[in-house]
Amino acid sequence: MQESKVCFSAKGIVKHYGATHALKGVDLEVREGEIVGLVGENGAGKSTLLKIIIGAENPSSGQMTMEDQPYAPKNPMEANAAGVGMVFQEQSLIVNLSVGQNIFFGHERDFRRYGVINWPRMYKQAQRVLEEVDVGHINPRKKVSDLNFATRQMVEIAKVMNVTQRTDGRKCMILLDEPTSVLSEEETENLFVQMRKIAACGHAVVFVSHRLDEILEVTDRIYVYKDGASVGSLNTGDATEPLLYEMMVGRSTTSEYYKLERQVEPQDAVVLEAKGLGLSGVFKDVNFALRRGEVLGVCGVVGSGKEDVCEVLCGDQKPTAGALYIHGQKADFQSPAQALAAGVLMIPKERLVEGIVRTLSVEDNIAASNHRLVSKGPFVLAARVREQALRLIGRLRIKTRGPKELLMQLSGGNQQKVVFSRALASKCEILILNHPTRGVDVGAKEEFYGLIRDMMQEGKAVILLGDTLDECIGMSNRVLVMKDGRLSGAFDAPARGKPSQVDVVSAMM
Amino acid sequence: MSQPTKPGAEKGPRLRDNLVKYFSFSAIVILVVGFTLARPNFLGVANLKTLLSDSAPLLIMATGMTLVLLLGSIDLSMGSVCSVANVLTVMIINELGPQLGPPALGAVVALLAAAAFGAVAGLLLGFVHVKLKVPSFIASLGFMSLWQSVAYLITAAPVSVAKVMWGGINWFKVTFGVVGLSLVLALAWVAVAYLFQSRTSFGKALYAIGGNERAARIAGTRVDQAKIVAFVLSGVCAAIGGYFLAAKLRSSAPTVGDPFTLLIVASVALGGTSLSGGRGGVLGTVVGAFTVSVIQNGMNFIKVDAYWQSIVFGFFVLAAVAISVDRSTRGLVVK
Repeated sequence: MQESKVCFSAKGIVKHYGATHALKGVDLEVREGEIVGLVGENGAGKSTLLKIIIGAENPSSGQMTMEDQPYAPKNPMEANAAGVGMVFQEQSLIVNLSVGQNIFFGHERDFRRYGVINWPRMYKQAQRVLEEVDVGHINPRKKVSDLNFATRQMVEIAKVMNVTQRTDGRKCMILLDEPTSVLSEEETENLFVQMRKIAACGHAVVFVSHRLDEILEVTDRIYVYKDGASVGSLNTGDATEPLLYEMMVGRSTTSEYYKLERQVEPQDAVVLEAKGLGLSGVFKDVNFALRRGEVLGVCGVVGSGKEDVCEVLCGDQKPTAGALYIHGQKADFQSPAQALAAGVLMIPKERLVEGIVRTLSVEDNIAASNHRLVSKGPFVLAARVREQALRLIGRLRIKTRGPKELLMQLSGGNQQKVVFSRALASKCEILILNHPTRGVDVGAKEEFYGLIRDMMQEGKAVILLGDTLDECIGMSNRVLVMKDGRLSGAFDAPARGKPSQVDVVSAMM
Repeated sequence: MSQPTKPGAEKGPRLRDNLVKYFSFSAIVILVVGFTLARPNFLGVANLKTLLSDSAPLLIMATGMTLVLLLGSIDLSMGSVCSVANVLTVMIINELGPQLGPPALGAVVALLAAAAFGAVAGLLLGFVHVKLKVPSFIASLGFMSLWQSVAYLITAAPVSVAKVMWGGINWFKVTFGVVGLSLVLALAWVAVAYLFQSRTSFGKALYAIGGNERAARIAGTRVDQAKIVAFVLSGVCAAIGGYFLAAKLRSSAPTVGDPFTLLIVASVALGGTSLSGGRGGVLGTVVGAFTVSVIQNGMNFIKVDAYWQSIVFGFFVLAAVAISVDRSTRGLVVK
């Protein structure tokens, strides 16, 4: 492979937060025209490193250069000016502004004439920016809140490309922090095309993903991080999933990732049944039965209505047609609280928005859905809350300083583990797991899978919206496919004889 | 091993909490020293008695407001609910009391009536806020105006408690050393509120809703119920405050609660409860309420003009909120 010029380099980056050593001397080198992947478990330091590169954090020590210039941005604006842009893990668009306003946010003065903004010119320019990343079909006058997450992600990438483009011919670098977690397969492919296009222009791309298959598909070189240090870097051509997995976790992967040997046959008792369930304008005629000990996977593209089915099942929305039966009794949930009382709980998809209370401690977040179980009379027993938290922190290996630590101080993956712990602590019979492994690393995923298998042995039932199709098929006893608000297919998925992804996808499209 | 990757937040909350705590504590110390220098008998037994027993109504009302602020909501109608309860109390004591026989009985009936009124007022506000989805700020502003007029309609002019009925309200003047019975009762009320706040699932729900209402709902918290209960409690607290004022002043006034709205907010904010919800608690409010009481009593003691007093309180509210607001949060939502 031809060695091109170094675009960005970081040497010996160290970051302390008080007594904790988040980064212990990390190196990173990205050449022009190269796509570099960063992989590592949650808390390995990937996000911290990216935050330092974009100027959202200052390193405790270490040096960086960008295009042969010393580089030490104090804030993201300075980073942008030096040609470094980042698409954040959490959406950073302002949803009540239009696409165009978002793209040129903070640069409105470029379109100023006689003190007022020349909107037509701004929107025309926005259109051009969108076309550059092949999403010209998005109307720049549209409000961001009217777009789905995938489209928002593309807008964000267009925006970042625009602010980092330089006129002097020097190259820029784009950082993508888990951009694919909200995208469908097709959208992911489009994103990869864009990434390759950016790289083909000689720019550098840094890509973080928990999906190793994506990393292997799109990158040229891979850095592996573990516990705040780089374990090594290798050319993608030399890498395989098991190898990467071993480097990240420090132990070799089990071939039985989804613990298929522990998949149990569902019992006969139906715990939840949907009869002709519908929500006007979103989905209709949804029929299925969930049995004790069964994992029922639900697949579908973004916008197929699967998310809305979840919201109805957990009591967040009232169905406009059909009915829901829990243990044969008609259930008419007015709120998630009533669903919880009936033993139904959802782990939501959007962790920050719906999953966690940042200002509460780990133990209070874990106890949020089971006050009934840790109370005596009217009083919540602090000792039981503590004991339960300690047990789950140990069981799920949640990295925290203790049950009293505020949730906002945990890394994203560990926050997700807390949300999962909450579901376990709730002792609910029926769990709706909406992307339960979103943003957690490979090792933790495996633990989650083990816990789900445990629950099935205990006779619970799960409706699973997998983070990947692979996960959905691998974990489920049966897979339902949704398309345009209707069930479009159902596949049995016994441990021996899982349906092929191709078949499932063809029902989705 | 721990590895926080959400930096900045790490020291932020604790540092800010301490800052707020020290702000209130040091404010009390500085103020007491200052007032004592100005008038040495500020710390005399007579004034100390007044200060401590006068702080009781404020303490009770601020406790109720704390619960509402923990939700991230606000109840601006507390002052006028207090006024209505106040005029209601004196009306019942004067008109119904003599027929009931012993003055104490009239006083108890008046207390129950006032508390019931407060609960109804809170229920109405909670209903409008929760079910009709009117922001609490606006809803309570509407009720503030409404109850103000109701207070005037009940008795337009101040009415004194009839002398024969004084036996029912004299308890307010009972003291143990410098500590008045009213303060003891108020602190007992705070203790109950503290238990509610930190030991019951209702209290846990308050914090969860204030921190992230959507997440609390999905997790199965009874959001609407908790909110309505909080508003009912704040209404009851406001009404009991009005009752205490009647006992203290031995008279009613339809405007008696008006200045309290600001003082209540000042107490809670000085006590470190976040105005955006989810953080703080009634114990902080005790410190905040004493700070406010010291300022108020001290300014009266050194004869500061009433208009200047309002300026000082306005300043304190702004300073307390400016210190306690969490600027580290991503979306600083001011509601």
